[in-house]
Amino acid sequence: MPEPSTFKKFVEVGRVVLLNSGASEGKIAVIVEIIDHNRAIIDGPSTGVPRQPYPYKHLTLTPFVVPSLPRAAGSGVVKKYYEKSGIAEKWAESSWSKRREALQKRRALNDFERFEVMLLKKQRRDTVRKSLKKSVA
Amino acid sequence: MLKIVEYQVLGRHLPTEAEPTPRLYRMRIFAPNEVVAKSRFWYFLRQLKKVKKANGEIVGINVISERKPLKVKNFGIWLRYDSRSGTHNMYKEFRALSRAEAVSSMYQDMAARHRARFRSVLILRVQEIEKTADVKRPYIKQLLQPGLRFPLPHRVTKSRSTFSAVRPKTF
Amino acid sequence: MSEYKEVKVGGEKNGQTRLVPTKKAPRFYPAEDVRQPKKVRKTAKPTALRSKITPGTILILLAGRFRGKRVVFLKQLNSGLLLVTGPYKANGVPLRRVNQAYVIATSTKVDISGVQLSEKLTDAYFAKAKASKSVSAEEEFFAEGKPKAKEAYPEEKASEQKDLDKAILAEIKKTANLEKYLKASWGLQKGQFPHEMVF
Repeated sequence: MPEPSTFKKFVEVGRVVLLNSGASEGKIAVIVEIIDHNRAIIDGPSTGVPRQPYPYKHLTLTPFVVPSLPRAAGSGVVKKYYEKSGIAEKWAESSWSKRREALQKRRALNDFERFEVMLLKKQRRDTVRKSLKKSVA
Repeated sequence: MLKIVEYQVLGRHLPTEAEPTPRLYRMRIFAPNEVVAKSRFWYFLRQLKKVKKANGEIVGINVISERKPLKVKNFGIWLRYDSRSGTHNMYKEFRALSRAEAVSSMYQDMAARHRARFRSVLILRVQEIEKTADVKRPYIKQLLQPGLRFPLPHRVTKSRSTFSAVRPKTF
Repeated sequence: MSEYKEVKVGGEKNGQTRLVPTKKAPRFYPAEDVRQPKKVRKTAKPTALRSKITPGTILILLAGRFRGKRVVFLKQLNSGLLLVTGPYKANGVPLRRVNQAYVIATSTKVDISGVQLSEKLTDAYFAKAKASKSVSAEEEFFAEGKPKAKEAYPEEKASEQKDLDKAILAEIKKTANLEKYLKASWGLQKGQFPHEMVF
């Protein structure tokens, strides 16, 4: 058993990571084997990430770990463990992934949709102010 | 980093009347491209046999690709290099996905630690270490412990704007 | 002018007429070769319309008097300029020609396939009438001791605009907020980079 540490997220077999660059950018995958202090082999059979070496510089560790994943497990085994652990749902529910999704949606809006968002925000502001005034008075 | 490829180079002496079917020589050579691979082939061959480029020919050259490029392996590399004051033998270990990758990180390592360039490093042997017990070097041993885990400290996230309201977290 | 002309000649045995060159051949060859100007075989290609701009596309004007306004694209004129309209009733931009270089094309479109564009809307329609230059501008301005009254906007053009606006506005009203969108003007806020935005 490793010693206690102030760090919360570790590079370890089974750690779920978020990929920050490359073809699979924005997807999550699992660390299958540590190559060295710079790279690990990752795999995401259920998230559409092919098995590949990946530098730690281009990924972020998430708080999730696939429990008791054997070292250097094949794609099929990884898929089985990953689906059993229910991390896909946990990730989808996390505020981190929700915020990411919202940001992406906002970024993809076109000019007219941005304008409509502005109108809706205005509307919200208006109702909030009015109800606030009513409650104070 | 210099991308190294492993080549198989086949060559022989040109056929003569005395020797119409000369012996074929085969070498596994690590080089960045075919041109360098052929050049290294002649360099080694003329040291070993009485054949040189002027009276020999290259019969074939192919790339040797890794059989399992997604399996992490430990490699031991025996090498010889010319330093500024003499020639030394060395044994180093690397953890990589292919032989070629191990060799290219070896060249990088030799350049960094000993200022040795490609031309002054001679590879004697590249061998995969199959048993964990056979790994000698502590820098590879530490990666082979069961239940290995380590944090990524001091992560610097880049912010596009000049000013940020939030202090960066580097742990 | 033809090279030869027929001239009547006297004398019976001279065959009545004779072809005489209209221009006398020069008495001397020029001392130096006269350069023949090269024949130009190039023709100006018609300006290619940006693929994102199709009839009915909403454009953002970036330059000129109406910069920042969102307008509806109608068609490309022969000169390569884009024919746009606000519509005038929505945001005050009249029928107008703009260069596509000074325009951002948005992905929002108005269906104007049903709108009949008048044949008169060509480059000539927008050309300025030639002013008579007999009197100096100053004299003309202060003729009869007081400034001259402004010329009224041609009735014909006004009605043309009105008819078009009516047809286009009917289309615009089919989409909620679209008229409001055209009325509002466009601008960049802090932290917005046009090359990284979707339009």
